[in-house]
Amino acid sequence: MSDTLERLATAVVEGNVDSMEELAQEALDEGLSAQEILNDGLMGGMNHVGKEFKAGNMFVPEVLRSAKAMKEAMKLLEPMLAAGEAQATGKILLGTVKGDLHDIGKNLVGMMCEGAGFDVRDLGTDVEPDQFLSAIKEFEPDIVGMSALLTTTMRAMGDTIKAIEEAGLRDQVKVMIGGAPVTQRFADDIGADGYAANAASASDLAKEFVGAA
Amino acid sequence: MQVKKTNYTVNATPTFEVLTEEEIEAIYFSALRVLYETGVRVYEEEGVEIAHSGGAIVEDTTDDSSLVKIPPWMVDKALATLPRKVVVVGPDREHRMELYKNQIYFGAGSDTPFTWDPYTGERRRATYEDVKNFAKIAQAMPNMDFHMSLGIVQDVNVGTYDRWQYLAMLEGTTKPINITAVDLDGLQDQLEMAYVRVGGKEEFEKGPIFSLYIEPVSPLSHSEEVIQKLLFATDNGIPFVYTPCPLAGATAPCTLAGTAVQALTESLFGIVLSQLRKPGAPMIIGGLMSNMDMRTTVYCYGSPEMALLSAAYTQITKWLGVPMYETAGCSDAKMFDEQAVLEATFNATTAALTGGNMIHDVGYLEQGLTSSMEMMVATNEIVDRVKRILRGIPVTDETKALDVIEDVGPGGHYLEHDHTYTRFKDLIWQGPLTDRQNWENWDLAGRKTFRDRVHARVLEILETETEPLIDEDMYKELRQICELADERHKGEELDFDMFV
Repeated sequence: MSDTLERLATAVVEGNVDSMEELAQEALDEGLSAQEILNDGLMGGMNHVGKEFKAGNMFVPEVLRSAKAMKEAMKLLEPMLAAGEAQATGKILLGTVKGDLHDIGKNLVGMMCEGAGFDVRDLGTDVEPDQFLSAIKEFEPDIVGMSALLTTTMRAMGDTIKAIEEAGLRDQVKVMIGGAPVTQRFADDIGADGYAANAASASDLAKEFVGAA
Repeated sequence: MQVKKTNYTVNATPTFEVLTEEEIEAIYFSALRVLYETGVRVYEEEGVEIAHSGGAIVEDTTDDSSLVKIPPWMVDKALATLPRKVVVVGPDREHRMELYKNQIYFGAGSDTPFTWDPYTGERRRATYEDVKNFAKIAQAMPNMDFHMSLGIVQDVNVGTYDRWQYLAMLEGTTKPINITAVDLDGLQDQLEMAYVRVGGKEEFEKGPIFSLYIEPVSPLSHSEEVIQKLLFATDNGIPFVYTPCPLAGATAPCTLAGTAVQALTESLFGIVLSQLRKPGAPMIIGGLMSNMDMRTTVYCYGSPEMALLSAAYTQITKWLGVPMYETAGCSDAKMFDEQAVLEATFNATTAALTGGNMIHDVGYLEQGLTSSMEMMVATNEIVDRVKRILRGIPVTDETKALDVIEDVGPGGHYLEHDHTYTRFKDLIWQGPLTDRQNWENWDLAGRKTFRDRVHARVLEILETETEPLIDEDMYKELRQICELADERHKGEELDFDMFV
C-alpha cells in the first residue's frame, strides 16, 4: 500500500478531521483513483476502527470522529465516484416511527452506517408511514431502518411495514428495526428482515443485507 | 472540671455534598440563560400559547413545534407560587410522603419490559401477575415508601396496559403510587380508578393517592404527550414528577455540570408552564441523570456519575426549595448478582446522604429493562443500613454516658447495665437478611449466601396469604374501567407470544 494511503487510513483511525482533505488531495495528485483511495485508504481505516470498537479498545465518540474524518475526505472524492467510478456501500433510509421523539439510538445507527460507507438519509423522529413511502420512492434505498423506544410506539413499525407492502415496495427494500423494547421475535412477527440490538450490529446487518459484509 | 452546658442539642445528620453554594448558583443562573437564550422546543400548541401569553418569546414555529424562550423573571414568578412541599398518600392515609428538603422516601422504578421470574429463574416479559406480586413485595418492605409498576403488563392490550398496571398495584399495595400513563386517555382512566379507590374526587383532592410520571425528552424537547399530561395533571390537582433523563455525552454535555444545567433548564420549563396554568400546582422535579456507556451506548443505571449527578441535582433542588425525584437501588447488572448489590448500595447510600426526596428505581436491573424482586428486597436492607448511618452519633451528656463509665469502672462490663439494656436495640443495627453467625452455625444452617436468603424472603412474601386490599365490589368497578378502555382500543392487541 502506498505511504499516502497508509497515512489516510491512520488519519481515519485517529479521527484527524482537519488533515483529511489535504491527504486525499495528495493521494489524487499521486495518480491514485478515488476508488483506490476509498477502498484501500478510508475503508481500510474504518475496518480497523470497527475491529477495535468490537474489541472494546475504541469508544463510540472515537468511532464517530473517524466516520466524520472519512466524510471529510469523501467531500472531495464523491463527485469523482458519482461520475461512475464507484458507488457507496448502499443506501439506507432511517427514521424513528410515528409517535416517538427519541432519536439518539437511531442517530447512532445513522452515523455508524455512514462510517461503513453507506449513503444515509434520516427522516428524523415521529415519522408517519406515508413519509417513509414517499422517501422510498424518491431516495430508492436498499435498506429501511426503523427505531422506537416506547412499547406503545413499536407497533407503528408493523404499521409502516404493512404500508410498504400495500404500496408494492416491499420487494425493493430490506427492513431492519431496533430500539430498547424490540426483540428478534418481534422483528420476525411484524415481517422485518432483521433486528439489531445496537448501532454497531445494525451497521453489520446493513452490510450483510447489501452483500458487503 | 465543670462541664458547661449548652442550651441546645446538636445532632448533625451525616450528609454528602458535591457542590458549594456558589456552584449551585452558577448552575441555576446558567440554566436561566439557556432557557432564555437557547430556549426549549415545545411540540404542543396549547403549551406554546400558555407560555407565550405568560411572557415567553416564541420563535421558529414549524408544522409541529415552536422554540420557546423564557425570560428569567418568569421563572422567579413561577418559583414564588410553586409549593415547596408536596404530599402523596396511600388510599387508607396510613402511608404518606411529605416531600420536601431532606425527607427521604424510597420506592420502585417503572415499566420494565422484562422481569426475572423468581420461580423459574428465567428472564421473561412481565405480566399482570408480576406487577401485582411486586406490589405485594413493596407492601411488605418497611423501607419502601411508594411504589411504581415494576413491569409493563404485556398480557393485556398494548394501548391500555397502564390501567391494568394501576389495578395490579392497587391489588398489592396501599402505599402511595407513582403512575405512568400511555396517553391522556390512560391518565383520565387511572384518575377515575383513583376516585373509585379513595371514595370520590373530593377525597382525592384532599390527599392525592398517586403522582404522575412525566418525562420530557432531552435535549430541551417537550413532546405533545408530555405537555398534555402536564396540563391535565395541573388542572386536576395531580402532583407530577417532571423528570428529564439526559445522558451525559449523548443527549447532554459530557461534563456533568453541563448535564445538570441542561436538566435543570428542562425541569424549569415544566415549572413555569405548570404555574402559569395554575399557581400552586404541585410538582416534583428530577432526577434521572446519568451517562451513556461509550462502549455499548446503554443508559447507565449504576455508574458513579449517576450517583454524583443525583447528589448535585438534589443539592440544587434543596437550594431552590423544590421536591426532588432521585434515582437509586438500581443497576446495570443483568441479574441479581454482586454488581447489582454493589451498585445499589452505592447509589442508595449517596441518595440518602444527600437527602433527595422521592428516590425511585429500586428493583431495576439491566439499565431499567428488567425488574427483580430480589433486588427490591436487598435494597430494602441496604436502605435500612443507610438509615442507621443517617441517625449519626448524637453527642450529649446522656450519650457520652460518663456516669455509666464511672459506674462500670476499669475492668467491668456493660452487658448487664441498664444503660445497655434499654438502648441496644435502637442503637445497634440488625438486618434480617444480614448474616453474622460464626462459621459452625453458618455451616450447619446450610451455608446460605446473601443471595439465597434474599431469594427465600421473596418466596416467603409471595407465599404468605394476605387479606385482599380492595373488596370485591370495588375490584369489579376498577376492572370495569380497564375493560371499557380495552373495548375502545380493540384490535390493538399485541400478540404476547411474540415477545417470548
